[in-house]
Amino acid sequence: MSTILKRLFIWFIAAGLILPFVIVAGVSINAESNISFPPTEMSARWYTILLTERDWLIPIRNSLLIAFFAGLIAVSIALAANYVLWRLKSGFGRLVFALGVGPFMLPPIIIAMGASVFWAELGMYGRVEATVISHGVFFVTLPLVIISRGFAALSDDVIEASRTMGATALQTFTKIIFPLVLPYVITGYALVAIISVNEYLISYMVSGFAVETLPIRIFNNVRYGYTPVVASAAMGFALLTIGVLLVLSLFTDLLKLLGGARN
Amino acid sequence: MSRLKVPHLIGVFPLAMMSFFFLAPLGYMVVVSFYERDPLGFYNVAFIWDNYAKFFSSFYYTISLRSVWSAGLGAALVVLLAFPAMYIIVDMSRRWQLFWVILLLSLMCLSEVILGFAWLILLSENSGIPKFLGWVGLWQDPRSLSPSFSAMMIGFVTLGFSLVALMFYPQMAQRDRSIEEAALTLGTPPGRVFSKVILPNFRTSIITSVVTMFVYFLGVFVMPTMLGRPKDWNMTVIITDKAVGDANMPLGAALSVIMLIFTLMIIGGLILAGRREQKA
Repeated sequence: MSTILKRLFIWFIAAGLILPFVIVAGVSINAESNISFPPTEMSARWYTILLTERDWLIPIRNSLLIAFFAGLIAVSIALAANYVLWRLKSGFGRLVFALGVGPFMLPPIIIAMGASVFWAELGMYGRVEATVISHGVFFVTLPLVIISRGFAALSDDVIEASRTMGATALQTFTKIIFPLVLPYVITGYALVAIISVNEYLISYMVSGFAVETLPIRIFNNVRYGYTPVVASAAMGFALLTIGVLLVLSLFTDLLKLLGGARN
Repeated sequence: MSRLKVPHLIGVFPLAMMSFFFLAPLGYMVVVSFYERDPLGFYNVAFIWDNYAKFFSSFYYTISLRSVWSAGLGAALVVLLAFPAMYIIVDMSRRWQLFWVILLLSLMCLSEVILGFAWLILLSENSGIPKFLGWVGLWQDPRSLSPSFSAMMIGFVTLGFSLVALMFYPQMAQRDRSIEEAALTLGTPPGRVFSKVILPNFRTSIITSVVTMFVYFLGVFVMPTMLGRPKDWNMTVIITDKAVGDANMPLGAALSVIMLIFTLMIIGGLILAGRREQKA
């Protein structure tokens, strides 16, 4: 009895999470130009428009560009903060770490509003660099936590061995520590890049009127009468996201990384 | 250079980045909230309380109450669904766990815009649930189910579910099962074990996740505008509307500062309560 109930419940949850995308997938391959499901005739025309028209290509390029650099910024901050915490294990290291957790604790609108007035004052309101830096700084929490798992997994004897054999701190870092935490760094980078590509509110408030990202383009399109191209863009997004995560799962243990593996 | 100094030097980089691009904007937002609006540009330097005075009106009072209500209800709903789901998922085989983790991670990363759009279609009259119900004959005259308060709530739950579930995941997977197993062997019904052993053990993390989600839902913009009616719009939509739509940055900043103070009070309260519990 209770196993049936459990199963029903979990299927209900899975359906609620997956069903919207089944419908979007259906709409995106439907040849008709008004949104409807189930599809009557199959066609790839919406995907062709998405990948050939300037209206869509420019937002795609902007989003990818922002994500690429925002990921680099976030990961370098997270790596430095974790290294400091690991070396010092003291007040200073903790302060740096706590600052990195801050953005996660606040509602996104507050961060977006702050960034908006800040960049306006610096005269960079509407510049793509502003969005890049804001994304890089605000999404630092995830790589920070993930890379800290990497540092926690370092065993002291390897470090001790390299030190007694006369390696400098820099050599120990480049030859021993960095290769060991690299999988965590890559995972952190990938997650920041994905989140940045998907983010709406900060991009919109910092430079939305000048730098159109893909979520901004989709949002505007949905608000002011939309075509099935939006559905194909949404599917493209979903597939890209799942694809990156699947690739990650091939060379890192995602369950362990998220703290789920039983000891 | 002594060995202690190098880590400090490296620490300057993250410290500077976070201070300059995270703390400074928040501080500057407080400054701008006292400025005067300039109808032709952004703002004029001034020191006025007008922006805050505007908050104390029936309009903002209603919106504040509405934001707290929708964020609170959304937070309660999402934890109510995600907690038991995770309880079931951690007992699945490794392969199914990986399936769920990838599904949840994908949803966590996916744009609010995409999730909102997907539900918009699913609730619409010519492609989603209403059409299906009409086709089966359960609904004579199918109408679109969005925009509505319920549609907005569905949006909130979809948005927060993955985050809450992944927050519960480590603790749930690694929990000490000896007491549950003892209770089960002694013949306690599984439902009773869940309510008497598991729930009390997870009390702190349940409260933490409800508060985290509450704070998060206070600040969402896309779901209310896409799936909710104008009368469901929360403070975030109003702030964005004032700051970007009306180009009234000082007012947007003042409203954000009020929200920031409110948020910090909630987080502070949570930390205090946690400390008191530890002492007791």
